[in-house]
Amino acid sequence: MSTHNQGTELDLSWISKIQVNHPAVLRRAEQIQARRPVKKEWQAAWLLKAVTFIDLTTLSGDDTSSNIQRLCYKAKYPIREDLLKALNMHDKGITTAAVCVYPARVCDAVKALKAVGCNIPVASVATGFPAGQTHLKTRLEEIRLAVEDGATEIDVVINRTLVLTGQWEGSDFIKTSTGKETVNATFPVAIVMLRAIRDFFWKTGNKIGFKPAGGIRSAKDSLAWLSLVKEELGDEWLKPELFRIGASTLLSDIERQIYHHVTGRYAAYHDLPMS
Amino acid sequence: MRTGVIGLILPSTFSFLEMMWRICPALAVGCTVVALVPPASPTPLLLAQLAGELGPFPGIINVISGPASLGPVLASQPGVQKVAFCGALEEGRALRRALAGEGAELGLALGAEALLLLSDAADVDSAVEGVVDAAWSDRSPGGLRLLVQESVWEEAMRRLQARMGRLRCGRGLDGAVDMGARGAAARDLAQRYVREAQSQGAQVFQAGDVPLDSPFYPPTLVSDLPPASPCAQAEVPWPVVVASPFRTAKEALALANGTPRGGSASVWSERLGQALELGYGLRVGTVWINSHGLRDPAVPTGGCKESGSSWHGGPDGLYEYLRPSGTPARLSYLSKNLNYDSFGLVVPSALPAGPETGPTPAPPYGLFVGGRFQAPGARSSRPIQDAFGNLHGYVAEGGAKDIRGAVEAAHQAASSWAGQSPGARRALLWALAAALERRESALASRLERQGVELKAAKAEVELSVRRLRAWGAQAQAQGQTLQLGVLAIVCPDEWPLLAFVSLLAPALAHGNTVVMVPSGACPLLALEVCQDMATLFPAGLVNVVTGDRDHLTRCLALHQDIQALWYFGSAQGSQFVEWASAGNLKPVWVSRGLPRAWEQEAEGAGPELGLRAARTKALWLPMGD
Repeated sequence: MSTHNQGTELDLSWISKIQVNHPAVLRRAEQIQARRPVKKEWQAAWLLKAVTFIDLTTLSGDDTSSNIQRLCYKAKYPIREDLLKALNMHDKGITTAAVCVYPARVCDAVKALKAVGCNIPVASVATGFPAGQTHLKTRLEEIRLAVEDGATEIDVVINRTLVLTGQWEGSDFIKTSTGKETVNATFPVAIVMLRAIRDFFWKTGNKIGFKPAGGIRSAKDSLAWLSLVKEELGDEWLKPELFRIGASTLLSDIERQIYHHVTGRYAAYHDLPMS
Repeated sequence: MRTGVIGLILPSTFSFLEMMWRICPALAVGCTVVALVPPASPTPLLLAQLAGELGPFPGIINVISGPASLGPVLASQPGVQKVAFCGALEEGRALRRALAGEGAELGLALGAEALLLLSDAADVDSAVEGVVDAAWSDRSPGGLRLLVQESVWEEAMRRLQARMGRLRCGRGLDGAVDMGARGAAARDLAQRYVREAQSQGAQVFQAGDVPLDSPFYPPTLVSDLPPASPCAQAEVPWPVVVASPFRTAKEALALANGTPRGGSASVWSERLGQALELGYGLRVGTVWINSHGLRDPAVPTGGCKESGSSWHGGPDGLYEYLRPSGTPARLSYLSKNLNYDSFGLVVPSALPAGPETGPTPAPPYGLFVGGRFQAPGARSSRPIQDAFGNLHGYVAEGGAKDIRGAVEAAHQAASSWAGQSPGARRALLWALAAALERRESALASRLERQGVELKAAKAEVELSVRRLRAWGAQAQAQGQTLQLGVLAIVCPDEWPLLAFVSLLAPALAHGNTVVMVPSGACPLLALEVCQDMATLFPAGLVNVVTGDRDHLTRCLALHQDIQALWYFGSAQGSQFVEWASAGNLKPVWVSRGLPRAWEQEAEGAGPELGLRAARTKALWLPMGD
């Protein structure tokens, strides 16, 4: 992320004037998925672009340095070398946008990325992820420690207590949710968020990024997300600085699609390297 | 029962769905169809071929591929019972004039313009998507008039223009395009309209990823068009959107209802009360709230005013292809030498009546307009003879000015009458019934003077009273129906009391106000009833004008502000009424010169009367938060 959001004075009237027509938003969500299908070599190109937006994520209780190492290697080489060669994209430096891990694993991630020779940022979830129900003092300490360890991006869990009582904070990116809820990134929610980003840009000139996370598993979905951002915000937002997809198994599905495009055959999961 | 053979005439830009929406109900109730389609579309021919392969019933769908000029030829074929026409306004008018006097009934669905009303309480982004659906997609039937509240004008324009930039035009079958093309004729029409709008001072904005070759036309947004300019009055072609601002909801309604077109409209406002009020106030056939273009075969779709009065979908769509059981097939009754320009123009002068006989001089009746008896504009009366050749009374000689006054009075009473609860309507009709009962002897003696036997006269009065009560009860049972507005009724010469009451009651029961021309042979009975109506009814609810029937019919048929006309008179009069209704395309019901059995339940008080006295409106309100 290049520039930070300077922020503005909190003006709650901006929020109270907003109207959302839910059935119309649902209709628009369905339309987006149906109206902009991308096929053949253009689909392959879009899939590779989608790879560059992925925040390759692992947030499990049993993360250790070995699976972090495997993750970081996958982040550097997201698609198998021979497939990229077949597409003539092996020298374009295609990596995922970032790697996203728990604060305790930031050290391992930084080490692994250095070993593999990759300079993508390490993002850390922090502030009592995923519920955010810890003391402010420990939450701030978490962020500080993660940054000390080498994380350059932090996914902050906002204090929902404050939200529900109307006290707001600012940020550079907005994320649909932690990814650990029952319902995470859905198109109707995203449409409303993207329209809010556009309104903020029209009002203040600041560009805020967008990150859907949770439940994005298929390559087809990822293409729909790219279409959505392109339609609502335009090509300017289709950059890793302003758009991220928080996903873990998505990369495998994209790789399988690329495999199919290159070879004409459907791959099994074991044909392609694990992440 | 089913109507018979239906002729279907489709315009050059019809959609397959529109065609099926008319063919399917017709077939479902047992009619057969002959469709005239433009030569460039092979799909209906394929449909007819498939239908022909169905075995035991060849010939249920027949398709003729030919130019539009064959339309009147098809429509006037003997045996065609009803013609359904779907297309442009002027062609519909021409067809209405051409079909006057022919046997077939005409159902018109004209124009394709829609309206979108964006208030300041709306989700503007979603409304912009609604505009895209309504005007810049392959599903849109035609152009769009966009009314935007002033306070959100800048926002709406900005979002519209940004959205237009993302639209993609291309070949229709490519799944990733938003809109295709509709042929060179449609493109030329759009181009002409936009050029004229520009010359009249409008701002034109076009955007989108559009192939440069014909016949693609880019999505177009026209704003700052002066309201009085000719372009603002004409129908907006596809894919043009004409945007105008409004200040208050009241102004919005005035602007929206201020065109002769009344097809479909959508209202965008998250305030439910405001949305419903606007929805109810719009004079159109279909209103969508916070959405646009929703359709369902079970919901009637149609229009009012100059968008024609035929329906498809829902029960109204089925009634288009049905007629009351027992009515005979319609035959042509065309009178080729009827001069439309001179019919009813001049009132033949009447010879003065002979000396009065009888105990007291007969008092002249005035016209019953605006709740009281008035002298006619012409300041003259005509004598009415009874069955024995004696003078029965004098009635006013009404003319064009009196018709105008009567229609105005009816309009003034219309909104408050339409707002009455069903219970109030019932109460008024029952009060009139009671008053007629009290007046029974006077009415029976007048009928006797017209040559009706006393027993039959009493029976006629009794039946009239019963009918008033029955329609009153039905008014309450049915609840709120949507009225047509001002209904003009020319009563038959026979059954001077019964027919008058049988026509009056359903019209009032469904919330209309009426202008009536009573029986020419004996208008005195109707005027007796008016004496009671003067005390019981609000002023202007019922207006009765006597005089030369042809002249009064001419005035009513040519009046642009009457919402429907029922004519029970001569064949020539019927033909004239059908011809003249092309003026504002009011729905008409004519007797074609044939008698009607008013004393029988089926013809005198059947459901047909109720159906013709009301109209339908569909209101869509999607749920969800």
